[in-house]
Amino acid sequence: MMKGDFEVVNGALNLVQPSETWDYTPAGFPVPHHISNLPSTTARPVLDGHCTNTNLSDFMEQVASPFSEASPSTNGFPMDTSLPTDNITTSPDEYRSRKAPRRVHESAACGGESRSSKSLAERDEHGLNMITILLECAVAISTENLPQANRMLLELTQMASPYSPSCAERVVAYFTKAMTSRVMNSWLGFCSPLVPHRSILSAFQAYNNISPFIKFAHFTANQAILEALHQKERVHIIDLDIMQGLQWPALFHILATRADGPPHVRMTGLGTSMAMLEETGRQLSNFARRLGMSFEFHPIAERAGDVDPSMVPSQRGEAVAVHWLQHTLYDATGPDRNTMRLLELLAPRVITLVEQEMAHTGSFLDRFVESLHYYSAIFDSLGMSLPFDNPSRHRVEHGLLSREINNILAIGGPARSGEEKFVSWRMELACRGFVQMPMSGNSMAQAQLILNMFPPSLGYTIFQGDGTLRLGWKDTRLYTASAWTARPTR
Amino acid sequence: MSTSRQSEPDDPSASEKWAASLLQDCAKAISEKDSTKIHHLLWMLNELASPYGDCDQKLASYFLQALFCKATESGERCYKTLVSVAEKSHSFESARKVILKFQEVSPWTTFGHVASNGAILEALEGEAKLHIIDISNTYCTQWPTLLEALATRSDETPHLRLTVVATVVSMGGSVMKEIGQRMEKFARLMGVPFEFQVVRVASQLGELKEEDLGLREDEAVAVNCIGALRRVGVEERGDFMRMLCNLRPKVVTVVEEEADFTSTRSEYVKCFEECLRFYGVFFEMLEESFAPTSNERLTLERECSRSILSVLACDGDGGGDCDRREKGSQWCARLMGAFSPMSFNDDAIDDVRALLKRYRSGWSLLPAQGDDLGLYLTWKDEPVVWASAWKP
Repeated sequence: MMKGDFEVVNGALNLVQPSETWDYTPAGFPVPHHISNLPSTTARPVLDGHCTNTNLSDFMEQVASPFSEASPSTNGFPMDTSLPTDNITTSPDEYRSRKAPRRVHESAACGGESRSSKSLAERDEHGLNMITILLECAVAISTENLPQANRMLLELTQMASPYSPSCAERVVAYFTKAMTSRVMNSWLGFCSPLVPHRSILSAFQAYNNISPFIKFAHFTANQAILEALHQKERVHIIDLDIMQGLQWPALFHILATRADGPPHVRMTGLGTSMAMLEETGRQLSNFARRLGMSFEFHPIAERAGDVDPSMVPSQRGEAVAVHWLQHTLYDATGPDRNTMRLLELLAPRVITLVEQEMAHTGSFLDRFVESLHYYSAIFDSLGMSLPFDNPSRHRVEHGLLSREINNILAIGGPARSGEEKFVSWRMELACRGFVQMPMSGNSMAQAQLILNMFPPSLGYTIFQGDGTLRLGWKDTRLYTASAWTARPTR
Repeated sequence: MSTSRQSEPDDPSASEKWAASLLQDCAKAISEKDSTKIHHLLWMLNELASPYGDCDQKLASYFLQALFCKATESGERCYKTLVSVAEKSHSFESARKVILKFQEVSPWTTFGHVASNGAILEALEGEAKLHIIDISNTYCTQWPTLLEALATRSDETPHLRLTVVATVVSMGGSVMKEIGQRMEKFARLMGVPFEFQVVRVASQLGELKEEDLGLREDEAVAVNCIGALRRVGVEERGDFMRMLCNLRPKVVTVVEEEADFTSTRSEYVKCFEECLRFYGVFFEMLEESFAPTSNERLTLERECSRSILSVLACDGDGGGDCDRREKGSQWCARLMGAFSPMSFNDDAIDDVRALLKRYRSGWSLLPAQGDDLGLYLTWKDEPVVWASAWKP
């Protein structure tokens, strides 16, 4: 076992060697990043105009907590009242850490160190002013007082710029946009979305390039999958939302260079459009062929919850791995109960799940407060790595994060459909008899490797607890990776 | 509402100029009173719009806002809110930054300045005491070059009095004070004897009277109207021009943007389409002239959004600035009633040509054809700004 682990770790290390060359085709098939190719390696950390960025999440916490205290807790779920520190498991029953009331950090006041300059105080005041109006607006929406909400939104649209050096202002600009959209939908009486998939994919790629979250999801999940598929000859990998399949080349590379030879790999990719799935399939097939790995690809242009299980047949002797990266760009899975039933029928050797640490369900105000905290942390993290006028940063904030915010604040939440959604997938998996497989030391090593591409002084943090791996920004947990199996023993 | 997944996802935003297309369909549906279609189109626009995206997304966003206000009859209220918030967030520094950046990347405003200065210098040649009445929206950025020209004239430097006419909405007190101080300082540097005054008009520009301006007997008057006439109420335009005539100016320079929101103001759809055409060009020009994450461009776009709201969602003249643009040919017809046309001399034309060379390609000048008078600035062969000069 040790030897196997060692091999795997070595293989993983090879993945991020700059000397590799992979194909880059015009269709946009991904290239792994040379460390030297990372944007603005020379231009960080960016401390534009002194301050508000670094403590934005703390500030948001401080300002938001009176509101979350007022809001009812969702589903009586246990609140996380402990200090989040590395390697502490709060309670075995806790599957989600909630972002509701917490203690105030000492350094929470924005720009504590440099209050002397007048323009700084002015900017803080401007920021505080905007956030206050934003919160009042959210309350107005939650009480269905749309005319008043609209009035405040009009104010905010003139006050906040998404190109500002201040992360707070950027966040306000996008939250304003989301609430404006919601008010319009309320008035129109429709809540379903129009999803421009191509532009989302391109923004997703940009996100993958400029921050570690996607890589964290991919690499830790790949590690767990590798461990679960150890020594298997035939594997079937099902990606519930494959997009452009950015995750898989890295895994294929390791599988293909296994000591006992590559397995036969069958991959089923679910997605939104057959044309895009077929494109992804072609890229992955070409890649596998060059690696000398036997590979089949099956596209399914359906959401997991809409799929007829007979469309995903299991073959004898196959080890099944299912992967899912949760997001709120569009509803990837459909009716959650059906998706769960599919998983039960598939009885996979491993399910790798990466969830966003934020409420997707619950009252508007709950979602508002949590997402404000959540996205403030992400915007903060981008603000520390790229200058305020960087076009990639804008593309990610506008093309990706803004869409997520839009969907979370929309009527009915990100599903945009009124379909019932699980509060927590980890909790549901546990309830349905799936057994959690703790993320191994190797997964942790993978996560560390990813973070080493982004200097530690920037503030990304890894938490390990409950058998999960969580990537966050400063004290805010953002993504949680976990692994599950349908069988009780390995 | 159904959420079933189609085999090919519908992505209307994948096609070119989708916003104009959807908006035009919406305007048509409004005129046909097709309520279901209107709702469906507004829903699509809402899903795809963004004030921070590309041109199409911006157009969708601002026109959607206007349509929404029109439908909910909240246009006046929304306009007032937007204007008051904008004023609160503007300072001299921020306004100056925006206009200087705009002038750096685009000749949109400097074209009118150079042409007008050319006509003013010609008309006031040889005069010892000059009085320029400036009714414009460009924060006196026009005058430094004129002051320089006066200072380097071969004969004795004349005395210049500059009266800026400000409506309450356009330029706040502190802003004008700053501007005045800077102008005085610059004039001192240039060695031009200089006086500066601000005349405030209580509400509408159309209420400006001769007495407000404090004219003196021995001065030669030039009236400079940049983006001014469109702010006069439509019914009052004739009177306003007669008032200007009574000032006995040596020259009146008029610069306006080439769009017609006036003759169609009783036909919503036609007005909507003209608005869409003009702002489509303007937004595209902004997108190509500025960096993608420019705050200055955002400020200009927000200004446009207020204009769009005023034209498409407000009845009457909003209780603040009117914003009914007319095209050069229309202004000509009005001005001919009180003035005679004055053509730009060769020096002025050369100056404009030299100016345009300093910017990216796409800009050009076009003298008016046929019965029309004046000079057009064109962008990608589309006339966008009209400049003209008039004498009694």
